Amino acid sequence: MNKEKTLELYEQMLILRHVDEMFYDLKMKDLIMDGFHPYSGQEAVAVGVSSTLNPDDVVISNHRPQGHSMAKGSTPKSVFCEMLGRRGGVSHGIGGPMQWIDAKNNFYCGSIVGSGMTIAAGVAMAMKKEAKGRVCVCYFGDGASNTGSFHEALNLAAIWKLPVVYICENNQYGEAMPVDEFVSCKPISKRAESYGLTGVTVDGNDIEEVVAAVEKAVIQAREGVGPFFIETVTYRFRGHYGGDPEHTYRSKEEVEQWKQKCPIKRTKAVLVSQGVSEKQLDDLEQKVIAQAEEDQKWALEQPFPTLEQATDHVMIPLS
Amino acid sequence: MRTITYCDALREATREEMTRDENVYLIGEDVGRWGNLFSASKGLLKEFGPEQVKDCPISEAALAGCAVGSAVTGMRPIAEIMYIDFITIAMDQMINHAAKYHQLSCGDVKVPIVFRTQGGVGMRNSSQHSQSFENWFVNVPGMITVMPSTPYDMKGLLKSAVRNDNPVLIIEHKALYFTKGEVPEEEYLVPLGVADVKRQGSDVTIIATSWMVLHALKAAEKLQADGVSCEVIDPRTLWPLDKETIINSVKKTGRCVVVTEAPAEGGWSGEAATVVMENCFSDLKAPVKRVCGMRTGVPYGTELERAVVPNEDWIIDGIREVLK
Repeated sequence: MNKEKTLELYEQMLILRHVDEMFYDLKMKDLIMDGFHPYSGQEAVAVGVSSTLNPDDVVISNHRPQGHSMAKGSTPKSVFCEMLGRRGGVSHGIGGPMQWIDAKNNFYCGSIVGSGMTIAAGVAMAMKKEAKGRVCVCYFGDGASNTGSFHEALNLAAIWKLPVVYICENNQYGEAMPVDEFVSCKPISKRAESYGLTGVTVDGNDIEEVVAAVEKAVIQAREGVGPFFIETVTYRFRGHYGGDPEHTYRSKEEVEQWKQKCPIKRTKAVLVSQGVSEKQLDDLEQKVIAQAEEDQKWALEQPFPTLEQATDHVMIPLS
Repeated sequence: MRTITYCDALREATREEMTRDENVYLIGEDVGRWGNLFSASKGLLKEFGPEQVKDCPISEAALAGCAVGSAVTGMRPIAEIMYIDFITIAMDQMINHAAKYHQLSCGDVKVPIVFRTQGGVGMRNSSQHSQSFENWFVNVPGMITVMPSTPYDMKGLLKSAVRNDNPVLIIEHKALYFTKGEVPEEEYLVPLGVADVKRQGSDVTIIATSWMVLHALKAAEKLQADGVSCEVIDPRTLWPLDKETIINSVKKTGRCVVVTEAPAEGGWSGEAATVVMENCFSDLKAPVKRVCGMRTGVPYGTELERAVVPNEDWIIDGIREVLK
């Protein structure tokens, strides 16, 4: 990646990080009410993946969608609002932190672990018929690899050679359950290979490595060669949900060790080695923080949906 | 008018809708090569090809997920779940996704899927291939639940369902596939959410669904000889329910019997009875009576499976009770 591209992705990762940390504080103040799953630490995945996508490509995400959604084009303002249950939210504040649809940015997410993988297969099936070279990207975690939907979807994607790229964010824990103890196979990408997909495992905290793998995958999918599976090995710096009893399943030392591999820190070091000044990068970060604070302030001023608005669109009335 | 089977009507509707709109496609287990267990899609693979008639592996979750994903990407799937008993595997995609996306997208996204399946007794398939699960779906906001009882309704309701932009579940019945009825050659639609008065009468209203409509009509015929005039209402769409047709009928007759193959407890039969109670209480001459399947797993065998679900004799007993 050239310096400009790296800088651009670095800025996006900073946005995701700072906004996510603000979400965490809002959760601690009970302003984000529930269902918030922090993304801090995994930014290289969402930003790296989306850097290879076109606006008309579709992303299906999971219960930890905020990074994926913003990387796909949802504005931080609209994600702040959704988290807070406010009217300006991606789903007008009725979906909350785990499930929303940003139709304009071709983004869907949901909080049932694994099921998005089957839906992504359907999106890709329609794209294959349409034959415009669009692809569908589907994010899920290591925990999802133990669901029935995972296995059904991978088989289907493989037999029908669907233009779908499955991105497994192996962040080491499915809720509180460590991947080494609860997933029978390592690396997880082996599972995909056994179904006939191309499967690779990459360092999910190295944005260059993520981008390189996804670029290859997206090209393969667009050309109709078939589905691709990328396991990105990463780590969530915060709990499964904001404020979970982390001490019950992992040590502070372990978290600190992973923080040394922070994707943002690593990208910053790359930029510095390429001759970008520390000052420029610090200024950039300050700009990102100021904008995030402004977005947060705006979101906190937005109204909550009324009961009438919240229960609208349950179905299209029969004429 | 010509007479065709329920199964023929189903195939005609599928064929006509796939011809009319190439985005309409059929997906399911053995819908192609076999042409469905009852031949409901026989010949369609040859006519439309494997992209529009898609055999799917035995993966109901993926099948339903595929329907959802393709529906939000411009297609109009008819997703067949071979037996309603297998729908348990697809419930997540149907309920947590198909029925939620329109609301979650604040109306931006439409989910035009027809989920088709078949339930009930009639093939001596025992307790994991003979159940009646409509009650679950009636309780899901965002889902339309349909149970056609005649070839005419089957064809017209399926065509309407394909053209509707909501997820619609059509539950067919094993014992109905080879029943015959009049179906016009020319195109027609049967609207969703509209009940049909299958027989007019003045003494008692029978509300029956699916195969039970046929039993109710036989019971009404028998009771006619004893001077009892029964009105038989087939709601056709269980939800949204055509309350008006039911209310008008019970206001006229003052008596009501609800008949379903599904067990009564916690079921749609209670919903129908409550609609009557809430709207016709002062007109009722007797409490509403429910005649429903026994609360049991369906046992194996011709005699036993029929012994646990209502028949015309059970319905006649129910009617006599409200006439006391």
